[in-house]
Amino acid sequence: MSWINVCEETNLPIGTGVAAWVAGKAVAIFNLGKDGLYAIDNVDPATGVSLLARGLICEMDGDLCVASPLYKQHYRLTTGVCIEDSSLIASPFDIKTEQGQVLVLAKV
Amino acid sequence: MAVSKPKLMVVGNGMVGHHFIEQVCSLGLNKIFDVHVFGEEPRPAYDRVQLSKYFETGSADPLMLTSAKDYQDWGITLHLNTMITAIDTATKTITNAEGQHYVYEQLVLATGSFPFVPPINGNDRDQCLVYRTIEDLQAIQAAAANSKVGVVVGGGLLGLEAANAMKQLGVKTHVVEFAPQLMPVQLNDKAGELLCSKIEQLGVSVHTSKATTAIIDGESALHRMTFNDESFLETDMIVFSAGIRPQDQLARVSNINIGERGGIEIDNWCLTSAPDVYAIGECALWQQKIFGLVAPGYQMARVAASHIASSVTDTKAQTFTGADMSTKLKLLGVDVAAIGASRGFDNAQFVELSDNQTGIYKKLWLDESGTLLKGAVLIGDNSDYSRLLDLYLSQDEITGSAVELLLAGAENEADLKDTSIVCSCHQVTKGDIVDAVKAGSHKMAEIKSCTRAASGCGGCAPVVQKIIDQTLQAEGVDFNAGICAHFDHDRQALYHLCQVEGISDFTTLITQHGKPSANGLHYGCDICKPAAASIFASLKNQYVLNQDSGHVQLQDTNDAYLGNIQKDGTYSIVPRVAGGEITPAKLIAMGQIAQEYDLYTKITGGQRIDMFGATLSQLPEIWQKLIDAGFETGHAYGKSLRTVKSCVGSTWCRYGVQDSVGFAIDLENRYKGLRSPHKLKFAVSGCTRECAEAQSKDIGIIATDKGWNLYVAGNGGMRPRHGDLFATDLSTEELYQYIDRILMFYVKTADKLQRTSTWMESLDGGLAYLKSVVIDDALGINAALEQQMNHIVATYQCEWKTSLEQPAFLARFNEFVNPNEAPMSDASVYQRVREQRFPNIKDAGAGTIAIKDITEQQTTADEVVA
Repeated sequence: MSWINVCEETNLPIGTGVAAWVAGKAVAIFNLGKDGLYAIDNVDPATGVSLLARGLICEMDGDLCVASPLYKQHYRLTTGVCIEDSSLIASPFDIKTEQGQVLVLAKV
Repeated sequence: MAVSKPKLMVVGNGMVGHHFIEQVCSLGLNKIFDVHVFGEEPRPAYDRVQLSKYFETGSADPLMLTSAKDYQDWGITLHLNTMITAIDTATKTITNAEGQHYVYEQLVLATGSFPFVPPINGNDRDQCLVYRTIEDLQAIQAAAANSKVGVVVGGGLLGLEAANAMKQLGVKTHVVEFAPQLMPVQLNDKAGELLCSKIEQLGVSVHTSKATTAIIDGESALHRMTFNDESFLETDMIVFSAGIRPQDQLARVSNINIGERGGIEIDNWCLTSAPDVYAIGECALWQQKIFGLVAPGYQMARVAASHIASSVTDTKAQTFTGADMSTKLKLLGVDVAAIGASRGFDNAQFVELSDNQTGIYKKLWLDESGTLLKGAVLIGDNSDYSRLLDLYLSQDEITGSAVELLLAGAENEADLKDTSIVCSCHQVTKGDIVDAVKAGSHKMAEIKSCTRAASGCGGCAPVVQKIIDQTLQAEGVDFNAGICAHFDHDRQALYHLCQVEGISDFTTLITQHGKPSANGLHYGCDICKPAAASIFASLKNQYVLNQDSGHVQLQDTNDAYLGNIQKDGTYSIVPRVAGGEITPAKLIAMGQIAQEYDLYTKITGGQRIDMFGATLSQLPEIWQKLIDAGFETGHAYGKSLRTVKSCVGSTWCRYGVQDSVGFAIDLENRYKGLRSPHKLKFAVSGCTRECAEAQSKDIGIIATDKGWNLYVAGNGGMRPRHGDLFATDLSTEELYQYIDRILMFYVKTADKLQRTSTWMESLDGGLAYLKSVVIDDALGINAALEQQMNHIVATYQCEWKTSLEQPAFLARFNEFVNPNEAPMSDASVYQRVREQRFPNIKDAGAGTIAIKDITEQQTTADEVVA
């Protein structure tokens, strides 16, 4: 497992998601400004389509989530677990910034 | 020293121990007794039934049932991290691990149970864990972080819960069960089989009829588990969840009577063999039975509290007479329920439903006469649970054929009798909830706190919500006006606030008028954000993807990328073809662009051309080419005007009486870009033959020899409705004036995602009222409505043109923020059919996935329907 440098912090607009390619996997990164950076698998487990970065960021009962663009399931940004169906999980990735660079922990 | 009150000591602060304390407080015993509670764990009582929630939220907070502060407020002394090691029943003293003594008048043991770990060699190796406490979960989480494969030993209810947790942690999960099927205690073989296949579909491997013989060093993983049939399985972590055993150690060493196979023996008042010592919950043995569910434990807590109360107050003690072990839950996302004798019994009659297509299995066990329900098992759909449980508990005779019970569906769930138990954890009846609603508790949270319903396992929450809604409706209370959890306002109220206060950003809206979450987050959700975006656009008509104002963060799926998303994540593109009129040169240009990018092309029902299969990063290039060829955006992605369909009209048609095409183009150019509560479709027919099908549109116009007839609030699609004739023989100017007013009034007053047809029907007074507003200016707002429409028309922009003028912004359309690292897109996911390209995705259609609200799913397909 190693930290992969994906982009500069300034490449991440606040309040929306972007996808990054991390060691063979598409990862959805969400920059919530003062509320932190989050990373989960970009593939929507309900459909197998790689697009969660394009979802709308929501707050559901105190949990930060992204709503899948296709059928609107909500995935928690912290754990990747779907609110509507806990058997669906977009697994979370560790993410951090160092000297203005955004680093994601690859899972290989 | 203070005046000494008699001492009531409670050992154990789990769910049942805590419930006992709640009973003590509601009976006022905390005023009479000096109450001490001893808990071994570092935190007060939490919800063990929904333990896997810890992994969903990553925090123990949502599980907490109480707090140290609650106990303080009740005047109860809570000793956490404290283990009681001995009871001297002669001197009525208990002793903790540190040797401190406490005298009791009354003692309640609520020590619960501990997970059974089968006696297998190697069961104490590293990363061999159990699933019971939050600390256990933390250990599982830590082990999962360095595990690829995990095994849960035990295919019962708890085992499958543990498997769910393991799967959520991203570990390849196996379940090993000794019996030949899953959940052997509750399910018959067929139900177990179906559950097994469903769970395997979710990627969890199930191994039944396997007894583990040893756990040794593995070759490819940390452990190797060997089985009685000589097979083996390699795994990095193991969680034992093979049942529970009563935690009776304290009673055992204190010479209180214990059952042969464990459990503290109790009588009908929950009294043990020692005077003034009670046992409740999973540690207690009543008539040789242990009750491993929370509801019976709660019943025992109530009985013990009432018995203690009867000794000091003038009240009557309740008795424990056994408990129903029916249960309903979701295991790994699969609905499972078992009622009564769910595995059948001798001479039972039964009816059975097995639907392999949808994965639903239901079996009802009846008595010999076939008229009384004795048990039931439900897999894949447990929406009938409340109704069946009610029938089972009441033992009412089944009227009609029993098989109808399997087919009746869930719609009658809230039609329970007032005496029916809705929440079996807390024994709350439908009548209790109805009374609480009538007494003013209208919200779920209020009902939970005043009746306790849905605050145990939570399984009854949907039924409770239905009962609340039904009761409020019956009472004529205006409920649920808010568009979502973040606002108590409906769309009309929000529109009004934004207009009057000049609000045009979401942060201001939610901080001033909304409800940020308890932890101070103000993100809103996929309901309120797009609604707010639409309102801002209707009022100010600014660029919808504006970053500075934060509008880009509010847009729903299609608006967010100015395209219509398709099932494979690509987009379709629909340029505006006003009135359906297009020059050959433009047609050729569009064809060339579609050919260059290999886009699937189809003519829509709205007389336009839809081009499918553009990737996110191709959108800007394709649009640049379309704009260079003279096209502009068609707003097919927006809740806004789509098309104005037209027939050929008087220019060519020998029957036409007016120039329908020319007028359609003018109308489309006036109203294009107007953001509205839902999409808008118009049509103009050149004569009464109505070839443009204008009466099925939101705004329909039919030519007469004296002018135009205006129809409003028609609809095609899912809920067809003929438009109502609004006014006849109008001049072109009058027509524009009326349409301006109708549309702006719709934008101002409609609910979110409400089409004009349902909007007009919802107006008090309907068509006549709308006429009075628009034609007679009954509200005196027409000048304002027209002025606002003029503002929208004057500020029109092609959103794609604006986007392409901001090169920095186009980074938004990159598939990846680090595109150089990413592979080229994979062409093999497409197939060619009828000489065009189609996505090759399996099972990604709406048919296989539950859709919340079909009207919210805007694809270009519904343009085809029009």
